[in-house]
Amino acid sequence: MGRITLEKVTKSFGAVDVLHGIDLDIREGEFVVFVGPSGCGKSTLLRQIAGLDKPTSGEIRIDGALVNDVPASDRGLAMVFQSYALYPHMSVRQNLAFGLENARMPKAEIDARIAEAARMLEIGDYLERRPGQLSGGQRQRVAIGRAIVRNPTAFLLDEPLSNLDAELRISMRAELAALHARLKTTMIYVTHDQIEAMTLADRIVVLRKGRVEQIGSPLELYNRPANRFVAGFIGAPSMNFLSGQIEGVSEAGTMLRLFDGEIVTVPRRADAVQAGQNVSVGLRPQHMRVAHEGENGVPVTIDMVEALGSETVVHAHASTGEPVLAVLQGQHNLSRGESLKFAFNPADLHLFDNNGVRVSGT
Amino acid sequence: MKANGLLSASQTALMAVVARVMGIIDVPLRYLQRKTGQSGMAAFFLAPNMAIFAVFVLVPFVINFVYSLTGGSAIFLSDRSFVGAQQYSEIFACGNYLDPNSCKQDVFWIAAGNTAAFVVLQVSLMIVAALITALILNREIIGRSFWRAVFFFPVLLSPVVTGLIWRWIFQRQGVLNAVMQGLGLEPHDWLTERNSAFFASIGVSIWAHVGFYTLILLAGLQAIPKDLYEAAQMDGTSRQRVFWRITLPLLMPNLIVVLVLALIKAVQIFDEAFVLTHGGPGTSTMYLVQYIYETGFASELRNPGLAAAASILMGAVLVVLTLAQMAASRKNEKKGAR
Repeated sequence: MGRITLEKVTKSFGAVDVLHGIDLDIREGEFVVFVGPSGCGKSTLLRQIAGLDKPTSGEIRIDGALVNDVPASDRGLAMVFQSYALYPHMSVRQNLAFGLENARMPKAEIDARIAEAARMLEIGDYLERRPGQLSGGQRQRVAIGRAIVRNPTAFLLDEPLSNLDAELRISMRAELAALHARLKTTMIYVTHDQIEAMTLADRIVVLRKGRVEQIGSPLELYNRPANRFVAGFIGAPSMNFLSGQIEGVSEAGTMLRLFDGEIVTVPRRADAVQAGQNVSVGLRPQHMRVAHEGENGVPVTIDMVEALGSETVVHAHASTGEPVLAVLQGQHNLSRGESLKFAFNPADLHLFDNNGVRVSGT
Repeated sequence: MKANGLLSASQTALMAVVARVMGIIDVPLRYLQRKTGQSGMAAFFLAPNMAIFAVFVLVPFVINFVYSLTGGSAIFLSDRSFVGAQQYSEIFACGNYLDPNSCKQDVFWIAAGNTAAFVVLQVSLMIVAALITALILNREIIGRSFWRAVFFFPVLLSPVVTGLIWRWIFQRQGVLNAVMQGLGLEPHDWLTERNSAFFASIGVSIWAHVGFYTLILLAGLQAIPKDLYEAAQMDGTSRQRVFWRITLPLLMPNLIVVLVLALIKAVQIFDEAFVLTHGGPGTSTMYLVQYIYETGFASELRNPGLAAAASILMGAVLVVLTLAQMAASRKNEKKGAR
């Protein structure tokens, strides 16, 4: 139980189209993360699934049953809101019990469920407190507890960690992952934080302007981004993009002339490219190192150096003016204004055509 | 300020003038602060307001209290004799406090009883009306801004105008009876029959003030996060349960403010009711302020001392209500801080 299927789901608010025909199949027990920049429609999509909004067209199915006209409370889903949405005038216990009382569940059963959720989330000590007397992390646990006690077929989590400080966010992230492993219930999680997406998801759905850009496992998205947007969005810091030109495609792979005239061979046959075609060359900051004397590489001039101890972040620019960011392992004695070359493995290059679509092949 | 963030020439000139004036004022103020210290400066800045408060509130209050200790019908204090607490004794001279007719100042107790009944009915009905109106105006209804303005409009009217409008509607030859006759119904003496006059004064008062309290409750409703309602929706909460378990408790701080403000305002009922019914028929719509007004100024056997004593007693009731409001506000602030 907990399979959620979306077919050509659209949503418009007046003349504004927010979702453009979303197709999605979320498997039972899967942890799926909707990720994308602000305004991409990820929360809107979640609300359609929750039943808080009705799609303009398309079908939403839960375990095969069409639920477009089914009220939110009858979909068997539980939602955790960004603001926690805890009732401030009720104690934690009353917050947890509220939904169950609506369903006229026997008191003994309610108490048992609250006790189980409190044990699982370690909130037993403050069941009689009000939300205003709790820290942000404790409130977040209560909000998750309120969802857990309903024993839903799927959890919907709308940016649940965004109100927490960085340290707490990391620990809560781990707890959420552990919770999913324990409950094995379908979870749909909305975030704009790609690190949350990468660390939590079985599969990530990258959204932009109401359209799905790519669906895949975190590493699929990282290693084989379908387009320049996904390539830039997934991975921190963002991927560098340099200009280049296709020289030709052979059995050895795709020959490429970089902006500085250097020719490299990407050991993959690019799809549907022609010699002379301009491409955007993607290279992750972590895939660069300082070139040895005489070694080929991307020539850059350093703008700023951030020495973080275990790694050194170098902000630089190429002769074309394109910014280049490199994350170098270890400590390096580099300074602003210095010119050097960043070497890389051609296999780590990603090629995108003028429309931003990946052409670097498999 | 211009779009590019730069000041225009006229604005620059104005700023220069302001800076010049501030520079001139600054000199004596700095001198004063050196002499008096920071707390002295606070007193200096508060002094104008305190002076206004003293002239228009504190001094009249003290004079009023002194009047309540004097007797006779003379207006000027120098012509009045000191009688101590005699005016208060007169008011409280009752055989049975539940029977106004057994009291020496029976009209005072009738007016007090009328005021108490008015306060209970008007305040409770008005809060219910304001709450219902606020709940409706908080929904996505067509012409919401228009309806909000419509409900608030009577608040802007002078109480005398309000009283006159409704007298025109309620009087024997008024609009309401004309409409009733048009519908084939018997006309009614709305303002000359005891109960209907009393309820008319309540209705008019509600009509005149409900917009103000609606506004306070509307602000409270809009401050309730939408997420809470969506969480309740996910929980399958019925609309009635949402109202009783979420909306009403979260609106309670605003409701308490409305309750206390409405109570204070209702105790002070005078102008629109006086214009509407003149306290009649008989004394059935005579309220305390009208009693004070007539005792002190309007009757041939005027007794300013008795009126002053009655107003001091009414003031005591208002002080209690004000303290209640302050206590409720403090409690809300504490709740909000948690």
